[in-house]
Amino acid sequence: MRRKILIVFLVALVAICSLPGVAAEKRLTVISGWSGPEMDAFMPVLEAFEKETGIDVEYQIYRAEDLAVLLPAQFDAKTAPADVIFMWAWFIAKHAGDGHVLDMTGYLNEADFIPGALDPVKSGDKLYGGVYTGKVKPGFWYRKSFFEKHGLSVPKTWIEFTALCSKIQRISGIKAAIASGNGVGWPLSDITEHFIASYAGPDVTHALIDKQISWQDPVVASVFKDKLVPLLKAGYFSEPIEWTMAADLWWGGEYGLFFMGSWITGMVEDPDDLGVFSLPECKGIVFAPDYAFAPAYTKYPEEAKRLLAFLSTKGQEIQVTAGGHISTYAKVPLSAYPAVDREVAALLDGVVALPDLDDTIGGEWQPAFWDQLKLLWVSPGRVDEVLETLQRKVD
Amino acid sequence: MPVLGTCPGGDSVGQTRGRIFFFLPALILLAAFVVYPVINTVWLSFQTPEGEFSFFKNYAEILSEPEIVDLRGFKRGFPYGALIHNIMWIVIHLPLTVMLGLILAVILRDVKGGAIIKSIIFLGMVTPMVVGGIILRFLFDGSVGILPSFLSLFGVARRTLTAHPDTALFALILGSLWLWTPFSMVLYSAGLETIPDYVYEAAVIDGASPLRILFLITVPLLRPVTGVVITMTFLWVLKIFDIVYVATMGGPGGASNVLALQMYMYAFRQFNANAAAVVATFLMIVALVVSIPTFRALRGDES
Repeated sequence: MRRKILIVFLVALVAICSLPGVAAEKRLTVISGWSGPEMDAFMPVLEAFEKETGIDVEYQIYRAEDLAVLLPAQFDAKTAPADVIFMWAWFIAKHAGDGHVLDMTGYLNEADFIPGALDPVKSGDKLYGGVYTGKVKPGFWYRKSFFEKHGLSVPKTWIEFTALCSKIQRISGIKAAIASGNGVGWPLSDITEHFIASYAGPDVTHALIDKQISWQDPVVASVFKDKLVPLLKAGYFSEPIEWTMAADLWWGGEYGLFFMGSWITGMVEDPDDLGVFSLPECKGIVFAPDYAFAPAYTKYPEEAKRLLAFLSTKGQEIQVTAGGHISTYAKVPLSAYPAVDREVAALLDGVVALPDLDDTIGGEWQPAFWDQLKLLWVSPGRVDEVLETLQRKVD
Repeated sequence: MPVLGTCPGGDSVGQTRGRIFFFLPALILLAAFVVYPVINTVWLSFQTPEGEFSFFKNYAEILSEPEIVDLRGFKRGFPYGALIHNIMWIVIHLPLTVMLGLILAVILRDVKGGAIIKSIIFLGMVTPMVVGGIILRFLFDGSVGILPSFLSLFGVARRTLTAHPDTALFALILGSLWLWTPFSMVLYSAGLETIPDYVYEAAVIDGASPLRILFLITVPLLRPVTGVVITMTFLWVLKIFDIVYVATMGGPGGASNVLALQMYMYAFRQFNANAAAVVATFLMIVALVVSIPTFRALRGDES
């Protein structure tokens, strides 16, 4: 008798728990690499989604490098650590082909985005991810007050640029004209890509991405040997310094220029004191959107898709107000941007928007690129070896 | 001849069954999480990515890659390849760890407040290696690092030691000494406690100098401890990964690359499980070749 009562009780309990009101609330998890001020700027976007839909969202920080290790094993076990994950586009595309990514076709209208923004996460006519805001890597940042104090001006030609570096180098207390940020190596790759886009052109950048031109090709080699290496040999670039520390040292006046993406505007004390210029003769600027996807193993596929769609559209408008981000969603009005980002947007006028070279190629080549550039920065005489290694890694 | 119902050791069948019963869970777990992955890794190392058996083709290819052995390094300087870097790490790190650990243990044995000093030194050991790697990055930084600042007092130009190919590996080895020497110091300290005082008293009465006592009494009596320190340090250095990953990512230009990091690159950047399995199997064989004879020798000492 007792046994029967217990069974009835358990069945009733399960039935009650299955009712919509009593069932555990849905809670989505989002993973990205943003922490500190970048995370602070992102949280209002998630809060807006929660407010609009009533779905709770938890945020977790994982670097893309760590996700690259974690996700393949999780996918093999048919599980995933989050419902929406920000990740490299090449990684999303690769794993979409293996069935690990939810199909987002129909959730986003391609015409609402800047041309080509969704291409990296498309396969045929299927869409496997969402595109978020992009970061522009416009060129060299400087403090307007520093330039005014030392009578410096923005260069219009290559000769003026080298003269500017030389002038800054001679200022008392300056360690080097340009602070070289180093993370795992990516800030150096951003600088190099800017030199390639400026002096070999956007077509060469695309050809390098598509592996249609060798890194040892005279056109590519001349960018290294005639432009970058002479600056490195002259000591105008500092040795690689951890990039957040480099930003502080540059802002503190130990360096005159700092090459960084547009997110720097959200990292400095006084964004109004910021100025930026591209290399003279610049023909293309890297515009690198962030991409996200919903894994096929999410418990809440519909909600995950809804969040991804929100991030790709309305979320972008909220994000750009915090500064440092440029929207890929064409419906975001210019008035949403802070003034300093409008200056960045102006630099894009008349030049080709390029994909981030190393993020697009990805794989083993990416860390090799970063690592070889770290070598080049301290041993510019080994440029031939660097180019040979980069080409070997492509092959 | 065993009596019916007893095992050769004299135990009853029931006792044997009982032992098997308690032993079985551990055996199953070991088989599932150690034996099977090891066998599968070895098997993978002999296969192509398409799953075909390829004999030693993978080994020939991987071990001849410049990332593993780069003979051009002997003309040009770093990098020499991950395997050579691991060997350099062992050749430099191992004797220094053994010597420093022994010296610190001996010196701090009779020093007032030695326990406190040992605890401070031991902090390096309890620091997570990833945190240690980050600390090393700043320790050797040209702008804010302690070591470049100290060297600049002697006229050495400040530079980030981990950023240059000629110093990156040595900087990491030096840093790893801080993180690992406490291990050897603690083992030697424990070993010293097992040496009876009368041995030293007899030596002093016989007029032996402190150095003779060290080399003729302490060092020989600590031989089993030295064996453990050498084996454990060797294995630690062989699988060194986290410090390198965090501090230099094997750079610049592969100048501080090591086998475990290269294995990671094959596995999680190239997604080439077969290449990673080759490196893993190679590391396992080297570890077995070194550790088995050492443990056998130690067992001989004990008996």
